[in-house]
Amino acid sequence: MSSSPVAPAHPLEPFIQSLLSAQALLPDSETNLLEVVGILKSYGVVLDAYSRNLIYIADHQFLVLFPFFKYFNGDISLSRLLRHWGHDRINFEYAEYCMKTMLWHGGGGFDQYLDSQDFLDHCHRATAAKIKGNTLVQGLSRVFPDFLPEQVRQLAYYSALGQFWRVMSDLFMDLCDRYDHGKISSIPQVVAHIKAGLVAAAALPITYAVTIDGVVYDLVPKSAGITFLMDVAVPYVEAVFFRGTPFLGTVSYNAQAYQIPVEQSQFEYGALYADPVPIGGAGIPPTLLMQDMRHFLPDYLSAFYASQGRGLADVRVKMCQSFQKSMFCVTSAALQGLLPYPADTQEEGESQANHEFLVAWMNRLATSRLAVVQF
Amino acid sequence: MLSLLILVPMLGGLAIGFWPGQITAFSAKVIGHVTLGLTLLWLGVLASQFNLTNPDFQFEELLVWVEPLGLSYRLGLDGLSLPLLVINSLLGLVALYSSDPQLHRPRLYYALMLVMNGAVAGAFLSANLLLFFIFYELELIPLYLLIAIWGGARRGYAATKFLIYTALSGVLILGAFLGLVWLSGQTTFNYDRQMASALPLMQQTILLVALLIGFGIKVPLFPFHTWLPDAHVEASTPVSVLLAGVLLKLGTYGLVRFGLGLFPTAWMSLAPILATWAVVSILYGSLAAIAQNDMKKMVAYSSIGHMGYVLLAAAASTPVSIVGTVFQMVSHGLISGLLFLLVGVVYQTTGTRDLTQLRGLLNPERGLPFVGSLMILGVMASAGIPGMAGFISEFLVFRGSFLIFPVQTLLSMVGSGLTAVYFLLLVNRAFFGRLAIREVSQTPQPDLDLPPVTWRDRVPALGLAALIVALGLQPNWLARWSEHTTLVLHQPYQVQARAWPFALPSPSLLADTLRSPLP
Repeated sequence: MSSSPVAPAHPLEPFIQSLLSAQALLPDSETNLLEVVGILKSYGVVLDAYSRNLIYIADHQFLVLFPFFKYFNGDISLSRLLRHWGHDRINFEYAEYCMKTMLWHGGGGFDQYLDSQDFLDHCHRATAAKIKGNTLVQGLSRVFPDFLPEQVRQLAYYSALGQFWRVMSDLFMDLCDRYDHGKISSIPQVVAHIKAGLVAAAALPITYAVTIDGVVYDLVPKSAGITFLMDVAVPYVEAVFFRGTPFLGTVSYNAQAYQIPVEQSQFEYGALYADPVPIGGAGIPPTLLMQDMRHFLPDYLSAFYASQGRGLADVRVKMCQSFQKSMFCVTSAALQGLLPYPADTQEEGESQANHEFLVAWMNRLATSRLAVVQF
Repeated sequence: MLSLLILVPMLGGLAIGFWPGQITAFSAKVIGHVTLGLTLLWLGVLASQFNLTNPDFQFEELLVWVEPLGLSYRLGLDGLSLPLLVINSLLGLVALYSSDPQLHRPRLYYALMLVMNGAVAGAFLSANLLLFFIFYELELIPLYLLIAIWGGARRGYAATKFLIYTALSGVLILGAFLGLVWLSGQTTFNYDRQMASALPLMQQTILLVALLIGFGIKVPLFPFHTWLPDAHVEASTPVSVLLAGVLLKLGTYGLVRFGLGLFPTAWMSLAPILATWAVVSILYGSLAAIAQNDMKKMVAYSSIGHMGYVLLAAAASTPVSIVGTVFQMVSHGLISGLLFLLVGVVYQTTGTRDLTQLRGLLNPERGLPFVGSLMILGVMASAGIPGMAGFISEFLVFRGSFLIFPVQTLLSMVGSGLTAVYFLLLVNRAFFGRLAIREVSQTPQPDLDLPPVTWRDRVPALGLAALIVALGLQPNWLARWSEHTTLVLHQPYQVQARAWPFALPSPSLLADTLRSPLP
C-alpha cells in the first residue's frame, strides 16, 4: 500500500493564506499604512483630474482629428495656454498611456463588445453624423474603412477608463478621510475598504454616448450590459498592473532578440513589476504620474519622505515605491473580491477552488516586486 | 617677494604642526585655506605686475647661501613657471577643501599638505639647479607620508615604490646637474641657458639622457611609470588630485626647463627618439587605460598617455608646440584634478570604483546626476572635444609638432582617439543603464539608496569644470603669459635648425611653422 505524495506547498503559500484570512500582500506596519494612505490621497486627487479629462475628451473631442486643446477641458484662454507651456499642468499623457495600454491589451466584456456588430452599427450612425459634409474625412473613411471605428473604440476606452477612475478617485478620497478621522488603522482595513468599494460598484453600468448636432448617439448603450468590475476594472488591473508596456526608459529592449515576449499575455511590465529606481527619467509614464502626485502629497507623507535617505531630493522614487505598495493593496482587494467563493467557506471543494484561483495569480506574482515590498 | 610663495605655506604648515596648544581638525583646515588663499592672492598681485613681454626671470631674488658649493638661493618667475604656480596653489586649495573632515591625525596631514605646496612652489621658482633639486627632493617627504599614512590598504607598498622610483629620479637629476657644472667649469649652479653650450655633443647627450630618465620617472613616461597607478590607487582623493595635477608637472617642467632649455644641441639630436618615446608612452598609457576596471587606475593610466603629449611637443620644440607644452601641463592639471575629484566622490558614495560593479550613476534621483554630468564634461575635455581646455592643448601640441614629426604626431593623435574609447567605456559602464553597484542578484534586494552628494562635494569639481571650459573658450587667458618665454626657449632651435637641417624634414616647412600665429 503506497501513500500518495503530499504536494509541495506553493512558494508563495504564505501570501495565499494571508489573502484568504483577509490580510494583504503588503505587511501591516505603521509606516506602510502611512505611505499607502498618503499616496492614495494624492492619487485620488490626480485620478479625479485624469477622469474628468478622459471623459471630456471622449464626450467633446469626438473624432476631432487634431485635438490641440484636448487637455484644456474646454477652458481655452491665453493665460491657460501660457501655464500649459510653462508646464504648470497635470500630465494627462499618463492617463492616455493607461488608456492605450488597456486598448492594446484588451480583455473582458468591454473589449468583446467593441468588436461586435452591434457596436459597429452604433459607431457608423455616430460617425456618419459627425462627418456629414466633410468630404475629406468621408473619402478617408472609404479608403480606410477601419480608421474611424478604431478611433471610436479608442474614444470608448477614454470614456470607460474615465468612468472607472471616477469611482476609484472617490473611493480613495473616502479612504483618506476615514484615515484622517482615525477609522482606518491597519493595512487589512485599507484592503477591506477598497474591496468593499469595488464590490459596491461591481454592477455599475459603463456606457458611452456622444451628442452631435443636438442628437444623442449611443455607442455603448446600457443594454450592452457592460459593468464596472468584470468588464473594466479587471481588464484595467490586467493591462496596467500586470502587463503594461515595455516603454523606453533606461533599459533598452530588443524585440528582435526576443527580449520582449512574443505573447502579450506574458508581458510583465505593469505597475506591480515596475522598477521605481529610474523614476525621474524624462518622459517615462511613471515619472509623469509621480510628478502629478507630488503636488498633492499630504503633509504627513512629505514629512515622512523628508526624514528618509535623501529627503525630498528623490521623492519621486520614494513615491513610486509607496505607490507600488498601495497597488499591492488594491490587488489584494481585487483578488479577494474576485474569489470564486467566500474566503471563509467551510466547503472543501470551494476552499480548494479559492486556493487554486489564488495559486494561478501567485504564479504570475512570483516575478513581481512582491518580495521587495516586504522589506 | 617670490619667497612669500614658498614661506607662507611652509610657515603655515609648521604652525599647524608645531603649535603648542590644541588645534582642532577644523582649525587646521581653516589655517590651511587661509594660507593657500593668501598665497594665491599674492600670486595674483605678482601676476598683475608681471611683464608679459619679458621672457627672462622676473622679480628675481638672490641670496648667496653655500658659496663653495655654488648653491645660492636664487628665485625667479617667468612665463613657464607662473601658470604652474597658479595651478599649484589652486589645486592645493581644492585638495584641502576636499579633504575628509574626519580624517585621523589632522594636524600632521594639513601640515604636510602645506609643506608640500611650499616645496613644489620652491621647485617651480628655483633659478639655481641645486636649489631646484633640494625642493624637488623636499616635496617627496610629505608626499610619501601622505600616501603611507592616509592611503588605502596597500599604502605601504605604494608609498615605498613611489619613494624608490622618485629617489632614483632625484639621483639622476643631481648627477646630471653636478656633471653639467663640473664639466663646464662653472662655479655656480645658477640657471643660465648657455651653461652647456660649450660642452661637446657627447657630454651634452650623456647629461641630457640622465635628465630625461630622471624626469621621465617623475612624469612618468613608459617604462618608468609603474609607480604611478599604484600610488594613485592607494592615495586619498586630495593627494591624487595633487599628484596628477601638480607633482607630475615637476617632471614635465624639468624636461622643458632643464632638458630643452639647457641642452638645445643634444635635445635636437635626440628629438626624433624623444618623439618616438612620446608616442610609445601615449599609446601604452591609452591602451593600458582601456584594460582597467578600476576608475582611478584608468584615470592614472590616462595621465601617463597625456603626459606623453608634453614630451612630443617639447621634442618638436616649435614656438607653437612649446606653448602647447605649457597649455597641456595646465589643462591636464585641471582635467585630471577634476576626474580624480569625481572618482573620489563616486568612491565615497558607492564604496567602490569597480567598473564591473558600477552602473547607471546618472540616475536622476537616486544616482549622482550632477557628478555624472561633470564626469562626462571632464572626459570630453580629456578626449580633446572643442570648447574645452583639452582641445586647445592637444591642438597646439599636434599643430606645433606635425610639421617636424608627422608620423609620430599622427600616431599620437591615435592616442587622443583612444582617450575617447576608454573614457566612453568608463562613462558607459558606470553612468549609463540601470542604477546598481553590484552584480544583479537572484535574491530580492531593497532598492538602492545611495547617500546624497552635498554641494560641498560638488563645488570644487564645478570650479575646475568652469576653468576647463573658460580656458577652452579663451585660451589666450593662459597662453599670453607664456608665449614670450617659450619663444626664447625656441630660439636656439631656430639657429640649430639652420645649422642642423638633418633633424628637420624641410627648412621651408619649419619656416611655415615658425610663422604660424600664436593663439
